[in-house]
This record gives sequence, C-alpha cells and structure tokens, in this order.
Amino acid sequence: MTEEQKPPAEQADKPKPAAKPAAKAPPGPKPWAPTGEVVETDVTRRLKERFEAAVEGIPSPVGEAGVRVAKDRLIEVLTFLKEDPECAMNFLSDLTAVHFPENEQPLEVVYHCYSIPKGHSLRVRAGLDDGEACPTAVEIWKTADWHEREIHDMFGIVFEGHPNLKTILLPDDWEGHPFRKEYPLGGPKEEAIRKDALSRPVYLPDDPEEARRIIKEGGRGSE
Amino acid sequence: MDQSNLNASGTSPLHKALETRSMELNFGPQHPATHGVYRAILELDGERIVGLDSVIGYLHRGIEKWAEYRTWSNCTPIFDRLDYLAAVINCHGYVGAVEKLLGVEVPKKAQYMRVVCDELNRIASHLIWLGTHALDIGAMTMLFYPMREREVIMDLFESMFGGRLLPNAYPVGGVRLDFPKGWEKACRSFLADLPDRIDDYEKLLTGNRMWVQRTKDVGVVSAEEAIDLGLSGPTLRGSGVYFDVRKAMPYSSYEDFDFEIPLGENGDVFDRYICRIREMRQSARIILQALDGMPEGDLKGKVSKIIKPPAGEAYFTVEGSKGQLGFYLVSDGGKNPWRCHVRSPSFVNLQGMETMCKDGLVADVVAVIGSLDIVLGEIDR
Repeated sequence: MTEEQKPPAEQADKPKPAAKPAAKAPPGPKPWAPTGEVVETDVTRRLKERFEAAVEGIPSPVGEAGVRVAKDRLIEVLTFLKEDPECAMNFLSDLTAVHFPENEQPLEVVYHCYSIPKGHSLRVRAGLDDGEACPTAVEIWKTADWHEREIHDMFGIVFEGHPNLKTILLPDDWEGHPFRKEYPLGGPKEEAIRKDALSRPVYLPDDPEEARRIIKEGGRGSE
Repeated sequence: MDQSNLNASGTSPLHKALETRSMELNFGPQHPATHGVYRAILELDGERIVGLDSVIGYLHRGIEKWAEYRTWSNCTPIFDRLDYLAAVINCHGYVGAVEKLLGVEVPKKAQYMRVVCDELNRIASHLIWLGTHALDIGAMTMLFYPMREREVIMDLFESMFGGRLLPNAYPVGGVRLDFPKGWEKACRSFLADLPDRIDDYEKLLTGNRMWVQRTKDVGVVSAEEAIDLGLSGPTLRGSGVYFDVRKAMPYSSYEDFDFEIPLGENGDVFDRYICRIREMRQSARIILQALDGMPEGDLKGKVSKIIKPPAGEAYFTVEGSKGQLGFYLVSDGGKNPWRCHVRSPSFVNLQGMETMCKDGLVADVVAVIGSLDIVLGEIDR
C-alpha cells in the first residue's frame, strides 16, 4: 500500500492506516540479545559446578539471575533445582515463551522458579528451533500443566509427555498461533481484508439496494 | 444401599451387577456461581465428584498480544481489565515492572500513596468476594453489607483518580496527583468504622452453624499439594504456607510497615475464608501506618516522555488480591514491549479445582469456586 495510489478524496482517512503499519514494523532484522551483566548467585554457581557447559548465565539489565540451558538437559536441570536441598525451588512462579524470529533459535521457553523456604529465585531459559518439541515439566511441578497448554495454544510448541495437551484459551478449531510475531494483531483474515481495503478505492453503485447487497456479500464493487 | 460396595471407578461387583456408570454434568458457563464464564465438566458417581475438567477461554481478549502494539506507557489502561475488581493493584504490577526495567526510582511519597491505594483496593476486592461467596452458599444478606462498605472505597477512588472501577491509577514513575483535599480524613473515618463492620460480618458467618457446615473440611488442599500446584495468595495461605510477596520480596516500601500474614491450618474453604477476613484487618492497619508516616516529596520519579527501556527482560511480582501477580516484560530497546506476559493468580489457582473438588459433593463445587476468588477476566486475559 502506498499513499500515491490513493485518490485525493480519501485524504481524511489517510493518516490512520498509514500510522498503523509503521508501529507494527519489527525494529530491525538483528537478533535479540539482552544487555547488562551476568548475575552470579549461589544457585547459578551451584548449577555451573554441576552441569558445567550445559548452563550459561544470561545478562540482565535489572540484576536478575538467570541461566540458559541446553534443551536436552532441561529436565535434568529443573529436577535438580527442585530437589537439591541448597536450591529447593519448590514453587514454579511462571512459565511462558517468547518468539524471536531473528534469533538462531526463534523460540525461548522461560521458567521463573522460586524457593519458598530459601526465598531466592531463578530464571531458566531454553531455546527451541521452529517445530521442535520441548520436554514437559508437569512431572516436576504440577502447575506447569495449564501454562504449557497455554504456550501450546499461543506459540505452537509441543510439550512431549504432557498428559493432556489440548487447547485452553483458544477455541478448539482455531488456526494459527496468535503470540507468534508473524501473526497479525487482528488475525490473518482481518489483516487480509484490511490490506485489500487499503490497496484500492471502493466504488459502489448508486442504487442503494444494490450497494447493500454487495456489502452484505463481502464484495468490493467495481474498480 | 451399602455405599461401601461402590467405588468411583465403577469396577466393584455391585456396580457391575447394577450396570451403573458415571454421569457427566455441565456446570456453567452461564451460571451465576461461576463468577463469570467458566465451565466445569463434572464426572459424577451419584452425588460424588469423580473427575473435573475446567474449560476456560471464553473471555480471551488477547491482552498480551495487544500490549505489543502499544507504547510502554499506553499499555497501562488495558491491564486494569485483567482483574477488574483489583484494577489498582494490576496497574501497580505493570508500572512496577516497567520501572524495574528502566531502573527508575519511585519517590518515597509515591510509594506510600501506592500502598494506601493498593490496600484499599485489596479490601474492596475482598468485600466483593465475601458478598458473592456467601451469596453462592445461600447467605443472601451478606451480599448487601460488604457492598455498602465497598461503595465508600469506590467513592474514595473516584475523588482520587477520577474513575471508580478501572481508574488507570498510576503512570510509570509514580502517581499523578496528591490526595485531594479532605481525602485523608474520609479515608481515616472509613478505616475507623471498618473493624466494627468486619466484626458484623463475622457475627453473621464465622460462628454460624450452617456456614461452618458448608465450609469446614470442604475443598481441602494440603500444603505440599498447594505449593506444587503453584497456588498463591490467601488460597495458599489457607493451607498454612507462609508466603506473601509483600513479605518475601518487599516492593513499594512494604518493609516499612508492621503487619501480619494470616494463615490457615487445614486448607479448606473455611480457612481460606478466615484468611481473607483477617487480611482485610491487616490491610486497614497498613493503610493507617502509611497515612501516619506519609513522607513529603515528589510524586513522580524522572521518566522521559518516550519510554525506551534497555534490551532485556524483567519479572516483577506484586501481591494481588487473589495471589502472586507477576508481569514478565521483554524489551528489545524499542518503544513497544516485545513480549508482555501476565502471571495471573486466578489462572493458576483455578488449576487446583480438580484436587479440591475430587471426592467431594456436587453442592460443594460452588463453595470451592467461591473460596478460590477467581476473576475470569484475569484467567482468560
């Protein structure tokens, strides 16, 4: 859609559609990487001692401790976090995912663990390729059940070994995964209609009956 | 009939002889006791519940996706619509997360004012819960008394923020305006009345034999199970687990105030009820301390007009009226959030339904839902 194609009669509507795609445009094709320093705590040191190269610290601009774990050792690390008496992360506060289309591994599953007896917290992240399955954490924390179902809805990540991986927030027959970056805000259908509507002007016939019929059928009149 | 011969799985000899099988019953989604549009598919063996499957998502509005298309400061009003009964606390959660990501220091006065408004909102939310929970179980009168008190809080919010239910309370960095003239006096007079009012509620319910029979030993969840299920807030504390974000990870100067965290013992509906009732008294204590010790100073920290946090992520939690309310924000250094995830306490707490309802009676489902204090706007987001 370019502004030159539009007839001058639509001047009044112009700023609105022009402003929206600008806000939606991704900020650039460079991969996402957090700024700041890697925070070392007793827990991260302990993890690094135990798992060595499988875990690496994540830099954080706000001083939160976090580690990135290789996918095949994820369950091992999470089980260790819960069962090790020094870590005692018995409370999974949050579990979600983020989509970074430009990153080497475009999907990241993020666990926020907290220890009620010890009072410390840790973020654990695992990177996934598109279409790659993630092992489930339901066996470790029951609370992961619904969180994983939500991630499956929204990002299309399959959790291997999940007992009941069906849709939770979306209708059963929903197509697509809305929280992925390529999914437009209004959904693909609305986006197609919007783009189509912006790409050419509308000329409806003078006869109101005829015009109403065309609109009702979703037609766009003549060009 | 001899009940001991019947088991839930339907494999006992008597079951086979009678050819009985479990029955499916739909509860909701359009049922007043579900507090919104929540549907539970119950599997019943006579009156007893064998299985429960929750169906949610009827109210999904894609708030998290929507936030990605707005600037950091334009997002605040939408988060009021998550838990619409505790909109002020929701707003605090979001702006707190942005402030954490930006590294903004909120002035002490603004922190104290936020505590006052948050705790008032907590009381208002608990009052609604009390009225509706009691109404669900059959105590009609109890709906009207808490509504009367809540109205005072709504009026206080209206004069402070301009809005009643969804006031879009805080901007990033502090608060917008100081308390209006006469506000503090009105607030203090409300707080002076509140303990007596709560005594009245307790007179109607706590010792009431019918109330106790409907709530004691109903919907029990043990401390270990509760932690495993990720429950939080009064739902977790009803099981005797000492975990409150205000104590565990103090934010907004909560460490300055002297208050207690009420705990239950058995983890049943009655204990969760008692926890919330006592929490209201503690909230009133906190507000009085904050009003007494209100420092002088600025209302807003230094925040530029166009917010652009550094690339990175932050997870900030507050103690919402329902439990631990967390905001996970990811920034790519741009004007909009790259990802905004809400850890909504009701969503997680509702997962406990199956554990709590199993082997209970059909009539208790309503009591259990009420005791979880769910808000569907927050569950479906």
